[in-house]
Amino acid sequence: MIRGTVSTATVGAVSRLLPPDPRRVGQEPDYRFTLANERTFLAWVRTSLALAAGGLGAVSLIPDFFGSHVLGILLLALSIATAATAYRRWALNEAAMRLGEPLPPSRLPQFMAAGTAVVGVVAAVLFVVETI
Amino acid sequence: MNSIGGGLQHERTALAWERTAVSMMVAGVVLARYGAAEVHFSVGVFGIAETVAGGLLLFWAGRHDDELHSPATPAPAVPQVELTRLIGALTVLFCAVALIVAVALSFS
Repeated sequence: MIRGTVSTATVGAVSRLLPPDPRRVGQEPDYRFTLANERTFLAWVRTSLALAAGGLGAVSLIPDFFGSHVLGILLLALSIATAATAYRRWALNEAAMRLGEPLPPSRLPQFMAAGTAVVGVVAAVLFVVETI
Repeated sequence: MNSIGGGLQHERTALAWERTAVSMMVAGVVLARYGAAEVHFSVGVFGIAETVAGGLLLFWAGRHDDELHSPATPAPAVPQVELTRLIGALTVLFCAVALIVAVALSFS
């Protein structure tokens, strides 16, 4: 029973993160919109890679800084969340454009802004604590 | 509407692919450098694999840009669904390995 619930939850999580091929629905939109969607996806991938490199840098390059590991792990957690939702956002936008529907709302930009702000505040607090 | 007409949309998109490829290569080098030195050599191998994948993507992006601009070839597939999936999955995997490295360094 528990195993079945866990496997159902896993399948549900995977299907949420991996929507079906958007080419299966609707009609091909103006290719300029498709390319713009592709560029947006790539921008999120680059953001994720930059956060991951920043996280690794925080852990490796400033080991003497109190709390550098906390900062690094926070940045890397943010990078995973960004990378994991980038494809989903791209596929849902593509499907919506093909169906002529409004683009689905996304909390990713808000999440990213809040997450980056939290990391910044944590870094500032740790810096002050270490200085005192 | 899959014809390749005027405008610089394709060039901007090709440049976005190229920037992403370079980012993958840089991130791979960072992971290889610190992962191999401080955690395990297999992490270094993964970092090098990410760098090679970035290089291949860079090569593909250059060829893709040529195809988009050549009037002699038919319009290539838009969107790039399979490649988008691959790059998305690879990035998630890279970030997960980087997180494992950071946690390992934190507890070492």
